[in-house]
Amino acid sequence: MASLATMLPLPPREDYRDNSMWVDEQIWGHRLWDSESPWLLFLEFLNVAEASKRNGQLFANGGHPLLFKPYKRLHLRNILFNNEVLTRISERYPESGSAWKAWLDWMSVNAKGVIPRDFAYLKGRFHSFQQFVSLVGILRGSAVESETNKRWSSRFVFPFGPNALYEDLNITAAGKVSREYIYFGRTGELLYLMLCRSKKKDELASRFAAMLSGNNQWNKLLALFQPDEAEDSETRTNSFLPYIAHPVFDLLTEDWLHVLSLELPGFDVMPHLVTLAAFHVMLYQLRVSSELLSKPLHFVCEVVAPKKTLVRELSAFNYQENSLLSQKAVEAYLVGITSSERWQLARSESSAFAACKAILEEQFRWPNDPEDYEGCSEPDALAAELRRAAISRHKQHVASVHRQYGRDVGLVSKRGTNRLRYAPTDALLKTLVLANVSRRIEYKEFLYLLFTRYGLVFGEREAEHVLLHEDFEKKAFQTNSHRLEQRLSSLGMLRRLSDACAYVQNPLARGQS
Amino acid sequence: MISQSATRWIRFIRQYGPIPRNDNMYDEHIRKSAKRAGIRPLAFVHPVEQDALAQFALARKDRRSVILTGTAGDGKSHLCGKIWALMGGSENQWTSDDVYHTLDIASGDKSLKVHVIRDLTALPAHDAKGRYAEKAELLTRFCDGLCEPDAKDQFLIAANDGQLVETLQRLPTTDNVARVRTIVESLLVEGRRESPEFKLTLFNLSGVPCVVLFDLALDAFSSHEGWSECYASSVSDGFFGERCPIRNNHELLKSPLVRERLRSLFELCDCNELHVPIRRILLLFANAILGHEDAKDRLMQAADVSTFLQKKTTAKASLFNNLFGGNLSEVRRDSLEVFDYLNRFRVGHETSNRVDNILIFGEADENLKPYFDKLLRADTMYGADDSYYAAQRSYVEGDDADPANDHFLRLLVSQRRGLFFKIPPDWEEELALWELTVFKYAGEYLEKVLKPLRQGGRVERPFLARLVKGLNRIFVGMLVSTDRDLLLATSISFSSSKISQILEDRIPVTPRLNERVELVLKHDKPTLNVQFSPTISASLPLNLTRYEFLSRVAEGALPGSFSRECCEDMLAFKSRLLSCLIERRLSEGVAASNTVAFHLLTLDPAGNPLDDVVEVTHG
Repeated sequence: MASLATMLPLPPREDYRDNSMWVDEQIWGHRLWDSESPWLLFLEFLNVAEASKRNGQLFANGGHPLLFKPYKRLHLRNILFNNEVLTRISERYPESGSAWKAWLDWMSVNAKGVIPRDFAYLKGRFHSFQQFVSLVGILRGSAVESETNKRWSSRFVFPFGPNALYEDLNITAAGKVSREYIYFGRTGELLYLMLCRSKKKDELASRFAAMLSGNNQWNKLLALFQPDEAEDSETRTNSFLPYIAHPVFDLLTEDWLHVLSLELPGFDVMPHLVTLAAFHVMLYQLRVSSELLSKPLHFVCEVVAPKKTLVRELSAFNYQENSLLSQKAVEAYLVGITSSERWQLARSESSAFAACKAILEEQFRWPNDPEDYEGCSEPDALAAELRRAAISRHKQHVASVHRQYGRDVGLVSKRGTNRLRYAPTDALLKTLVLANVSRRIEYKEFLYLLFTRYGLVFGEREAEHVLLHEDFEKKAFQTNSHRLEQRLSSLGMLRRLSDACAYVQNPLARGQS
Repeated sequence: MISQSATRWIRFIRQYGPIPRNDNMYDEHIRKSAKRAGIRPLAFVHPVEQDALAQFALARKDRRSVILTGTAGDGKSHLCGKIWALMGGSENQWTSDDVYHTLDIASGDKSLKVHVIRDLTALPAHDAKGRYAEKAELLTRFCDGLCEPDAKDQFLIAANDGQLVETLQRLPTTDNVARVRTIVESLLVEGRRESPEFKLTLFNLSGVPCVVLFDLALDAFSSHEGWSECYASSVSDGFFGERCPIRNNHELLKSPLVRERLRSLFELCDCNELHVPIRRILLLFANAILGHEDAKDRLMQAADVSTFLQKKTTAKASLFNNLFGGNLSEVRRDSLEVFDYLNRFRVGHETSNRVDNILIFGEADENLKPYFDKLLRADTMYGADDSYYAAQRSYVEGDDADPANDHFLRLLVSQRRGLFFKIPPDWEEELALWELTVFKYAGEYLEKVLKPLRQGGRVERPFLARLVKGLNRIFVGMLVSTDRDLLLATSISFSSSKISQILEDRIPVTPRLNERVELVLKHDKPTLNVQFSPTISASLPLNLTRYEFLSRVAEGALPGSFSRECCEDMLAFKSRLLSCLIERRLSEGVAASNTVAFHLLTLDPAGNPLDDVVEVTHG
């Protein structure tokens, strides 16, 4: 449970010179980043996991300290994503020898971030240039989120195994390489830390060790595209997660383990791991917020209906309330200090302003810069300015995690209306069933499970629990629940015995025939 | 003059129909009503009756507790009553409002207490007569008794399946209760009657195929002596005369062709795992015979016949329309599952050009005239009558926006329904009978798949080939024409992508080594079985909807159409097949090699898949 009491102490200030204050970071960690899509979140995480495994430290030590050396794989990335000329050369030079020469010449001038710009090692490894080209085409086709228009150095091949993993980089036209935390915004690192601190981390480690061994055709194929020499890698560090333990960490691990235990063929499990990760990070942000505020957290979910219903109204209202939770949590956190005895004492001193300012600098590392505060020397005014600045900073990124991740995983949507509310997509429902149902579970029990684990409200029993008496209408929620049954049925996940009796089943469970 | 007994008979079967009524204690109500009218109630021997009663025969030594479950209207109360009578229980006691009854029986040299709970939902939490302290205590006693070898109690419990599961869930958990819960749940879901663990037999009355109940019910209904009373009392141009709709409907329902077609619909409901309880089957018959849009409660009484004959509105009593609830209000019709299920076939709304041409132009067109004459003109009751000709003429000659067209289009629905029951067997293929329903392949499913399999034979090649082609199109996501092998393809990220171009393996339909694809019968249902090795296989039960879906995809429909659920089912099946493949590879121990090889699928113009092998050696 999160509260001021269970947070870890602040990490060393020297490591975080670029942080203009330390508020969001202490509540949720460094850092929650809204512009990180679920796949990118997962890829960032995989890079940390793979690097840790290489060190023999997969999920070990609670991630204290987190130091890892991810791959860069610049040769591979140039070939796959910085290479528009490939097809042209292949068409112009039908003879393999001349095609190779033309292409290698082009690469020796145009490849970026690679020194020396020598790709000759590729020649002997492929049957012909044409074969090389068709393989590149297939691998490019596997790219994750290929429809977005990102810079080439932020495009990622499907994570077949260690040979496919590399960190996000910025590469200038001049070829200068640097790590920018725009797409890999560090939330993947937080994810890794969360798993390190879950109860079942050892079991998870053995599952992931298998996945990260790269014992499949595609991973082996990728090795062919990369030179034999080891690359220079840099040590990455400085992620911070403020809790040694938290129920959400365990919830995520359990869900992941459950989906992994289904032993789906090939890489089928990946999209589910991705969705669950982002879903749980969102849940983490909200749960920590609600705990700091001592408020309950739930999500009234509408199963999309053709017209407006009471459930939709309540869901939209619920969404609005939840959207404000994190901001209120920040305020509560600040007030926790400024209403403390220590602060009151400092205020009553003769040099009140200096004393109070010292407290803020210690707790929040603010003011950081003379420009941060140019007002009068009044403790209350100082505190008010901190509050204003902290909220403003919070709204830039961390506040949007609920909306952004919620939309990305398919929980939050405007479908059929013009307001955001909770309307789970079929894909999300499917993932939740795979994560929670071993073989089958009676339908009403399933609804209850979704409620106790995640706070999702679909049916009348759970709604009655969380809603105010005047807001609750039994019929509306019964209809909502009935629609959920139909949705699950159309996904092949509901087995109906009779009008009164239905079971949610997992069609991909082992031993099903 | 219509005789008293004929009027009473019609009034009695009207009770079975969709009149507004409280469904509780239905069985009781019918029996009392029958007794008052001096009529023998409709009855037949339920398929499980013998086995259920056997458990309670006084001479029986090895006694098992019995749970009768199923949905409302399956005959649970009725069976309980029979068991009670068999054991010598008092009829007066049974007809009281009491839900819980006990009887002490001498079994061998021991004394045994038989507990009968007539309706688990209605069992009061506390017993007024003090026979049990609390409902939960009584049921816990039941669970305990099952787990002990030497029990002194035998239970007979009748409960709806939903209520059964929920009540067991609510009991305070003990070891015994938990064991009973798990076993009962698996018996229900897996469709079994007994488990070696306890002395318990679960009869799920919803598991009895409704086609079996249909046969029994229809025999009981159509051959009841009440009908002879009606014949005896016929009035020449009134009740039970030649043009009496009630009489015509009764005779139609008895006629072999109508019966056969209706029976097929029930058989197909079974094939789609839709269960119609006995109560609703009888409701269907009553409505079919007596239905009329203008009558009170939409069901005719004996006295209505002459009125409708005079008004010339007998066409509204068409059996063909009544069978689909056409005489009822939309709300009523939608609320009754038997009409919901039968209407899912969309009989009346689906059609083909050929059929509609006969209906609209048949009278005038010389090629179509023979069909029109036999199917419509010859049917003087419900076929083409004057109002039909008038509407038809105005439709053909009138202009598009004419509101009278709606009227004709509604008449067409009724006529198409009639055709479904009138097209004789030798015209079935020519007129594509099953295209009058949404399951175009239903006829084939019944005749060419279900029937041969149930007779222990095999299904002809072309039908299996078509299914394989349909599966291939879904698995690969392209219009492949392969029907000799099952193509197991993935895309290189995850196997549920739209197009899967990497061919992992092919499983031949014709047996080769240990691999084959075949249609077999499992749990009395057609099932597609894919064999990978002597020990590794995966199967897909083929209900009617899945069969229809795959056949349509094979003939060109997109996987996203017709049924979303089926598409998901097929993708889940593909996932299972790929898992089997991996399992087999592991067991065969594929040697680690330096070669990376895979097969890329592309199609030639004819839709034949071309295998492009890409091989790269490294290391």
